[in-house]
Amino acid sequence: MGTAQILFWSLTALALISAIMVLVSKNPVYSVLWLIVVFFAISGHYILLNAQFLAIVNLIVYAGAIMVLFLFVIMLMNLNTETEPQKSIWMKFFGVVAGGLLLSFFISFVISSADLKGKSAQLKEGEIGLIKTLGKALFNDYVIPFEIASILFLSAMVGAVVIGKKD
Amino acid sequence: MTEQQLMALLPFMVLAAASIVIILLIAFRQGHTVIQVTGFLLMCLVIFAMWYVRGVLPQTIAPLLIVDGFGALFTGLIVFCVLVVGLFSYIYFEEREENPREYYILIFLSTLGAAILTISRHFMSFFIGLELLSISLYALIAYLRTRNNAIEAGIKYLVLAALTSAFLLFGMALIYMETGSMDFAVIAQRLNAAGKSSALFLTGFGVMMVAVGFKLALVPFHLWAADVYQGAPSPVASFIATVSKVGVFAVFLRFCQELHLQNNSAVMMLISAVAILSMISGNILALRQQNLKRLLAYSSIAHFGYLLVAFLPGNNTGVEAAVFYLTAYAITILAAFGIIILLSPGEKDADSLSMYRGLFWDKPFMAIVLTVALLSLAGIPLTAGFIGKFYVLTAGVEQRAWLPVIVLVITSVIGLYYYLRIISTIFADSPVTIQKERSLNQFFYTASYAALVVLTLLLFGIGVMPAVIIQGIKQFLVIDR
Repeated sequence: MGTAQILFWSLTALALISAIMVLVSKNPVYSVLWLIVVFFAISGHYILLNAQFLAIVNLIVYAGAIMVLFLFVIMLMNLNTETEPQKSIWMKFFGVVAGGLLLSFFISFVISSADLKGKSAQLKEGEIGLIKTLGKALFNDYVIPFEIASILFLSAMVGAVVIGKKD
Repeated sequence: MTEQQLMALLPFMVLAAASIVIILLIAFRQGHTVIQVTGFLLMCLVIFAMWYVRGVLPQTIAPLLIVDGFGALFTGLIVFCVLVVGLFSYIYFEEREENPREYYILIFLSTLGAAILTISRHFMSFFIGLELLSISLYALIAYLRTRNNAIEAGIKYLVLAALTSAFLLFGMALIYMETGSMDFAVIAQRLNAAGKSSALFLTGFGVMMVAVGFKLALVPFHLWAADVYQGAPSPVASFIATVSKVGVFAVFLRFCQELHLQNNSAVMMLISAVAILSMISGNILALRQQNLKRLLAYSSIAHFGYLLVAFLPGNNTGVEAAVFYLTAYAITILAAFGIIILLSPGEKDADSLSMYRGLFWDKPFMAIVLTVALLSLAGIPLTAGFIGKFYVLTAGVEQRAWLPVIVLVITSVIGLYYYLRIISTIFADSPVTIQKERSLNQFFYTASYAALVVLTLLLFGIGVMPAVIIQGIKQFLVIDR
């Protein structure tokens, strides 16, 4: 087992354990903190796949910006165990059953998909996630969607100003 | 990118530039009238640009876009709807004395999103177009934020649309996983090469259907429709009913045509189930409805169910029927919403059915236009709605899709009940309750009345002489690929 594989399995275990901890933590602030660990583990996976840009963006956007937003909202709403609505045991039971069925449904499809058997991910040598490749693809083939995406941001900005401005 | 490709994109560039022009006008502190007139002229310019570039079509702008007759047809329909909606918006916002200027920026950006959907042949442009359409719509729905319903409707639409966007992305990811491409044509090739349809593709398609069904307000993803139609300002509601749905339907139609999904029995079963459910629940929910805007929402659910019946055959007749039906539907719904907008008194919308009691004796012109629109929605002969429904039925019968066709006929009869109920209210003998002072710009009233007259004449014109329109549609669809 090479270094890459050891790293892969340890990161996978970390991601799964912290994802479970997000769900079982009673305190929402702890959930958010565990979620940050999940994002770091997934960023580690991206680095293993030689996609440094994606890893950094994942950290900046998700672990940085979105998690701060999450924390703010949780603090403003002042959530704790007293205010948490108590769900009946049957709700929880059916939730687990439905979620588990959906999960096994997707897993079975992924496993049964013939194309995926015997294929392994490119560790370290993949070129596709490098920022140079990404930039070339973005400004050559995908320049029109890139421009349209900038119009998308324009519309988001105008919308936010319209809704948020004082009269 | 070649010169011709740039030429083909010209209408879309004009559309994108239109919003920038409006922003600049606002920056230079121009009034509502100037912005309205400029916006109207810019939309006319888009239509002119479309006509100007028709010679270079079809053009493929690899890898994302294809400007062909199909796209031009739907874009033309969308821009036409925006023209009418923009015209009605002036009176609506002027009476509320809210600041309506940013409204036009958002409308044009949203239109651009819908127009991009009609010419996309790739998941990437599909998704970006859809997001552009819906992000502007969030703000548009909540535009009159002093009204309670507006914020509620906006939030409802935002949460649900964001959720369904996630579904759409997930479905795209599953199909990408199966075929290794996001290009519609390449996906079709890979699926053909594989021979049988795989479970992964079906799952992906099913998950994508959630997003498409949400945007088209198909059952069981229709729960937002009535609340959003009611809460949104009336021009925005008519925008959602026409532009947003035409755009999403266009890309969905292109996707299914490209992949030849009509040969895939599982997909067809899924779509016909959605169609049948939409027809039945849309019509039944509308039966007891006392609010005209909500009623139009439920009727639009049913109408898109009918449209899916035209969609089932998947051959050329089906596409023609769908385009024809959408045109007739858009004109009809714009006329109906036009009346609601013109009748709305300052503080709220004229959406309660009781406000229309005896309308004919007070404002005969409006009553007649509304009656014609409702008859067309119900599919009474001599109106565009009848020919549309007839065409849809023909397409369905050709394919021997008996169950959806039978449901279509039965639910149309049910639908007749609530449309006629409104008409009988309009002609009821009782004093009218809508009181409204008219001190505003007389020119725009004249323009709106003129627009209503044109829409009504179109409804009759298409209903009496459908051949002209059908020929036009066929000519456009020939410029395909």
